[in-house]
Amino acid sequence: MLAFVAGAAAADDGLARVRARGALRWGGDLQGGEPYVFLDPAGGDRLVGFEVEIADGLARRLGVRAEFVQNDWQNLVPSLERGDFDVILNGFEVTAARRGRVAFTRPYYRFVETLVVRRADVDVHGLGDLRGERVGTLSGSLARDVVGAAAGVETVLYEGVEEPYLDLEQGRLRGVVLDNVIAERYGLVRPTLRLAATVGEGEYALALRPADASLLAALDRALDELRDSGELRGILERWKLWDARQEAPGVTSLAPAAGPATHLGPAQVVLFLRAAIATVTISALAMLLAVAGGLLLSVVRRLGGGVARAATTAYVELFRGTPVLLQLYVLYYGLAPVLTLDAYTAAVLGLGLNYAAYEAELYRAGLEAVPVGQTEAALALGMSRLQALRRIVLPQALRVALPGVANDFIALLKDSSLVSVITVVELTKQMTITAVDVRSWVGPGVLCAALYLALSYPLSRLARRLERRLAPA
Amino acid sequence: MTVVEARGIATRRGDVDVLRGVDLSVARGEVVAIVGPSGGGKTTLLRALNYLTPFDAGEVVIAGQRLHPGLRERGDAAQLRAVRTRVGMVFQSFHLFPHLSALANVTAAPQYVLGIGAAEAEARARGLLGRVGLADRVDAMPHALSGGQQQRVAIARALAMEPVVLLLDEPTSALDPRLTGEVLSVIADLAAGGQTMVLVTHEIDFARRVAHRVVVMAAGRIVESGAPGDVLDRPRTAETRAFLGLD
Repeated sequence: MLAFVAGAAAADDGLARVRARGALRWGGDLQGGEPYVFLDPAGGDRLVGFEVEIADGLARRLGVRAEFVQNDWQNLVPSLERGDFDVILNGFEVTAARRGRVAFTRPYYRFVETLVVRRADVDVHGLGDLRGERVGTLSGSLARDVVGAAAGVETVLYEGVEEPYLDLEQGRLRGVVLDNVIAERYGLVRPTLRLAATVGEGEYALALRPADASLLAALDRALDELRDSGELRGILERWKLWDARQEAPGVTSLAPAAGPATHLGPAQVVLFLRAAIATVTISALAMLLAVAGGLLLSVVRRLGGGVARAATTAYVELFRGTPVLLQLYVLYYGLAPVLTLDAYTAAVLGLGLNYAAYEAELYRAGLEAVPVGQTEAALALGMSRLQALRRIVLPQALRVALPGVANDFIALLKDSSLVSVITVVELTKQMTITAVDVRSWVGPGVLCAALYLALSYPLSRLARRLERRLAPA
Repeated sequence: MTVVEARGIATRRGDVDVLRGVDLSVARGEVVAIVGPSGGGKTTLLRALNYLTPFDAGEVVIAGQRLHPGLRERGDAAQLRAVRTRVGMVFQSFHLFPHLSALANVTAAPQYVLGIGAAEAEARARGLLGRVGLADRVDAMPHALSGGQQQRVAIARALAMEPVVLLLDEPTSALDPRLTGEVLSVIADLAAGGQTMVLVTHEIDFARRVAHRVVVMAAGRIVESGAPGDVLDRPRTAETRAFLGLD
């Protein structure tokens, strides 16, 4: 024992660091929800979940306390490498690909990957029956590798565990592949859904920086004690996670490996270009909608009666005063029971309706900049108020507003990254996906930034030229 | 034959009585010059005739329509358009449409309001621009024209609608003396051609020369009206004498 401690201390100071601090810092994402780690529904800011209890049990055996660190699930590995916490402990699956980057402890849970489909789809018995169909799963998960490996199946990526099953019910997906722990709690509780097949299996384990060998050894011993003492079984039973699989010996992961790290090659560049096209298409269509909507709003505001004016003001305040992210959620998930939009339509609509509010304000300022004499001259010639606006005032107002429109388009181009929350893979989402695949942020990040710049730079040049041309001489 | 008949026009702005019961009748072919001290209500009266400025009492019969207090731009658009289509207006500061060429300024209303074809509207506009001495400037943008040239385009723009009466609101007040002459000579030509006009002006000599009748307004009332020789040379009221600086 003494020899071990001395040897470990010489190789690294992981365990010593944890002990010195008096806390084992573990990273996870509360968005994963019940039963992993989540806020106590009874109130307060207490965290509960089976992983909270495992973390407490392990920390106790190391003679320290456990300290949770919230982190976006997709970015647990980069944050671990940054040193934000000592271990990842959050339904983190053991895969060959990850082994190349982190060190895994012995597993604390064995699960299967389940394919859930609608009850009405009686003839679906496996991923082989879903060629050409959309199948949902979690970004960066083992389940995603399982779906990705199935020939001809279109992968649709989500950040949360509730949304894929919602979309399955709405008919936006034909199937969802996720761990049985998630499927049992979020999918199969819906009466319209059923379990179609088991399509893979795997293990949850703690992940550490490879250099922290002493901490790894200590945690493995602590895990053995937790298991041998029956405490682990108690925890799992309390959370209704205990099943026969947990008693099986062996620690070998049967999970299909994603293979060695992908390189940032031509295939990845093609994916990026495709994502860039999605970004441009969504942004351009949304901008068209925003310009048309903004024009309509500003015209109604100017020509309409009191009610119409109040309605346009309410629209502008509502859409400017709430986050576009929330609007996208409402449009895609909130409206789904009455209006099931596909993700691209919802993306264009959401961004377009939001930016219409900004455009309306821009045009209003432009309209106010046109002297009232212009309207009077047009009316005095017998033009209608609409003709005066359309033929005389609006062309002048738009000239004033044009540089602002170009600037808004640049902003929209970047805001379009938000639509990834409703499963659209655009440039930024592609970067996070590729970053996981190639296990580095650098290459994908540079490529992503380069593409955004290639799109926005000509626009900003155009905006500046317009500003110069329209500036008073 | 009477083209404009205003009766008892009165209007307040805040606590000020801008017009206090004004009657004005204009016959076809007549040129009426309205003169008087600033703030006397000249421009307000002129703008009441095509209802660009609403009034509180009285009525205006013009272009076959009866204008009365309470008309609304939105609710009574058809009636107001019927008046304005037949009544031309020239503003002190021109109000040319800056995004349109001289030619397009003149063709816009005939095309959009009267539905005249582009070719015909353009031919007429070229004729009118020639008449105001701008045949060689038809494609110029307003900002490239001098003030006098801009005002002449504005006159051509109003004439393009073949108005039964042309209202001119201090058409040379924004111009320096050198440019005033070219605009006044255009207006004199129109008068000679029989165009009915109501002209608010500070150019007393021009009024004397061109107008058939001079109307003096002060403090919201018409204080004197008659032939230019009578009103300007033998004024009967103290207000007119004060305005002309004769006392």
